[in-house]
Amino acid sequence: MDLHVIARYPFLEEAREWVKSEAVSIEEVLNEAVYDRARERAMERVKQAVEKGIIKPYPCVEESDCVMEIFSYPIARMIVAAVESDFLIRRYALAEAKKAYETLKNEDASFINFMLEKFGISMHDGKIHFTDYLKYAPTWHSKWKLVNRIMERGYIRLEKNEMARLLQEAIRKKIQDELFYLFAPPEVRKIFGELINRLRAKTVVKEDKKYEGEESMVYFPPCIKSLISAARNGINIPHVGRFTLVTFLNAVGMPIDDIVSLFRSSPDFNEEKTRYQIEHITGKISGTIYSVPKCATIRTWGLCNPDELCRKVSHPMIYYRIKRGKNEVPKEKVL
Amino acid sequence: MRFLKKKFYEYYLKPDIIFPSRIDRREFAFLSFSDTMMRRHISFPTRDRLLYYLRINAPAHAYYSSAYYRRPDAATMQEKEWMGADLIFDLDADHIPGAFESGYENALRMVKEEMKKLLDFLLEDFGFDKNKMHVFFSGGRGYHCHVFDRRVIELGSGERREIVDYITARGLDMDSVIVEKEIFADGYSIKKVEIMPSLPSWRGRIARGIIEFLKEIKSMEREDAIKKMMELEGIGRKIAESIYDSLDEERMKRIEEGMIDQLSAYKRLIKPLAKKLAVSLHSSTDEPVTADIKRLIRLPGSLHGKTGLKVEKVDIDAIDEFEPLRDAIAFGDEIVEIEVKKPFSIEMNEERYELKKGRARVPEYVAVFAVARGFAEG
Ligand code: SF4
Repeated sequence: MDLHVIARYPFLEEAREWVKSEAVSIEEVLNEAVYDRARERAMERVKQAVEKGIIKPYPCVEESDCVMEIFSYPIARMIVAAVESDFLIRRYALAEAKKAYETLKNEDASFINFMLEKFGISMHDGKIHFTDYLKYAPTWHSKWKLVNRIMERGYIRLEKNEMARLLQEAIRKKIQDELFYLFAPPEVRKIFGELINRLRAKTVVKEDKKYEGEESMVYFPPCIKSLISAARNGINIPHVGRFTLVTFLNAVGMPIDDIVSLFRSSPDFNEEKTRYQIEHITGKISGTIYSVPKCATIRTWGLCNPDELCRKVSHPMIYYRIKRGKNEVPKEKVL
Repeated sequence: MRFLKKKFYEYYLKPDIIFPSRIDRREFAFLSFSDTMMRRHISFPTRDRLLYYLRINAPAHAYYSSAYYRRPDAATMQEKEWMGADLIFDLDADHIPGAFESGYENALRMVKEEMKKLLDFLLEDFGFDKNKMHVFFSGGRGYHCHVFDRRVIELGSGERREIVDYITARGLDMDSVIVEKEIFADGYSIKKVEIMPSLPSWRGRIARGIIEFLKEIKSMEREDAIKKMMELEGIGRKIAESIYDSLDEERMKRIEEGMIDQLSAYKRLIKPLAKKLAVSLHSSTDEPVTADIKRLIRLPGSLHGKTGLKVEKVDIDAIDEFEPLRDAIAFGDEIVEIEVKKPFSIEMNEERYELKKGRARVPEYVAVFAVARGFAEG
C-alpha cells in the first residue's frame, strides 16, 4: 500500500505492518533525534484532539513526511493511554475518526469499498445490509433513523459520503476499543510527562462529574474491593495497599475528600497526614500523578485476589473499563 | 386445580415441543400451579432433559430465554454472559386499544391482523428469510414472531429499538415521505408534490396507502366519505369536504401516477395513515419489549396455564387460515363433566358453547379451557 495512504489512515492494519517491517524499537521512536518530528506531531495530535475535537491533516509532501506522520500515530496513542482518562480516550478516538472522514469522503468508490471490507461490511451494488448500517449509523439524527431510510429486502442504498460517515463511526469504535486495552510503557510518562500531567489535570476534572459514587464500585476489580472494605473496617493497610487504592480511586475520578474519608476508620487516622499523602500521590502536591500499578506488581505485593474476569486483564483499570462497558443491562421482561 | 394439573400431566407425557435452537445456551424458567415465584436460571444440556423436567413437573407456564448465554444457569446476568439473542416480536391484545371490547375471539383476530402487517415489514423491508422466522400463537392473548437470522442475533438493544421504531413508524419524518417539486412551465413555476408508490420502505407504503384510501373515498357517497375521513386524527369537516370535492377523475389519475397538485389538505392524511399502516406494538404503559436483548418467551408447544391452549406454530403462508381456538387445542374431545361457576360463551373447534351456571357436559378441551380461565371447576 502507498505510504501516502497509510499516512492518511494510520490506524489500519497495513500501517501496523509497515511499522513492524521498519524494525524500529519503541525506545528509538521515543528517544532518537530522527524521530523528533514524529514526537512533535504526536503531541500535536493529542492536543488538537483535546482542544479542537478534530485533528488537522499533516501535509505529506515527501516520503519522509509520511514516515513521521505514520510514526506519530502509535506515539500519540501511547500518550493517550498514559493519561488513563476515559474522557480523553473517547475524545481522541473521535478526533482521529473525524480526521479520517475528511479525507475518506473524497476517496474513490473502490477505496471506500476496501475500507468497508476492513470493518466487515460488504457492499452489494451500492447497498449495505441494515444490520451493518445499524452498527455504525448515527441514528440519533432523524435523517439517519432506519425508519427514514429507503430499505429494500434488508438492504439500504447509501451515497459515498454517507458511507464515509459510517466508516467514521467504525473507525472511532476501533480506535477507542484498542485504547481501552492499551497500557503505555512507563517511559512514555517520562518523555511526555509534562503534557500527560497537563492532560490529566484537564480531563480528570471532567471525569469527576462522571463518577457515580458508590454506584461505580460494583465495577471495581476484586483487589480494590478488598482494600476498600479493609479500609472501612479499620484494618491497617500497608503503604503499597494505600498507594494502589488511592491511585485507582483517583483514576476513576473519585473526589479527594471521598478518598480521605475512606480512611477515617483507620486506627491511626490523621486527617491532615492522610490528605497530604493522598494529594502527593494524586499529583496535587508533587506535580507527578502516579499511575495505577499493574496487576503483576499488585500480585507481588500480595494484594491480588483474582476473579474470572481478571484472567483476561493485566491492569486494574482495564478490568474497570471492561466491566463498566458492559453495564447497560436493561430490565428483563416476561411474556 | 387438581383437574387442571392432572390434564397438564397427561399432556406432558407426550408433548409437541418445538425446541429452540442451541438449547444448552438458553435459560429456562417455569411457573407451577401452586407457586407464585418463578423458578429461574434452569438450563438443560439436551432436549431429553427438558422433556423429562416437563413430564415430572407439568408446569403451568414454561419459558425460555431469547438470549444465548455462556452459562445459562448462573444466577446473575453478569455471570451468565450474554452471547446474543433472537429477535422477538410480541403482539398482544393488550397493546391494541379497545381490542377486548368485542370479546376474546375478536381480540385474537385483531392481533392476527397486526401480525400480518408485521410479517409484511419483516419480509419486504427487512428481507428476512421465511425459514429463519417462526410465528406462534402464544396460547394466551397474542402472537409471537421469532427471528433467528444470524445477522440479528448480536444486535444490541439500541439497534433493536431502531427496528421497532421502523415497524411502528416512530420517528418517521413525514416530510421525507413526500417530495415537493417546483415545475417550470411557460414561465410559471408550479408547486407539485410527488409521492412514490413504487418505492420500497415507508415512502412507498405511505404513497400506496394514500392512493388506496383516496380511491376508496372516491367510490363512496359524499356524506359517508366525509365521515370516513373525519375518523382520521386531525381531519375536520372543512378539509374532508375540500378533499372529496376536488377528487375528480383527472386528479385521481394524476395521484395514481404519483402527482398531487394541491398540497395542504392531502398532507394532513399522511400522519394518520402512517399510524394505520404501522404495527401496534406498544402498549400504553409498557416499553416495547422487542428492544430487550434478554427476556423470557413461552416455550413453543408448552401449555398456557391460563387457557390450557398450546403455544402453537402458525404457518406463515397460511396465517389467514389459522384459528387459535381450533388449531391450538391440546386436548381430546372425550365428554367430561364440569361445574360452571360463571356463565360464558366460546367458540372452540368450530362449535359454539353457551354455558350457564351449574353442571355441564362438554368436550375435554372446553373443560380445560373453562377451568383454566376460572369459569368452571373440574
Ligand atoms: S488480577 Fe489485577 S485486577 Fe484482578 S484482582 Fe489481581 S490485581 Fe486486581
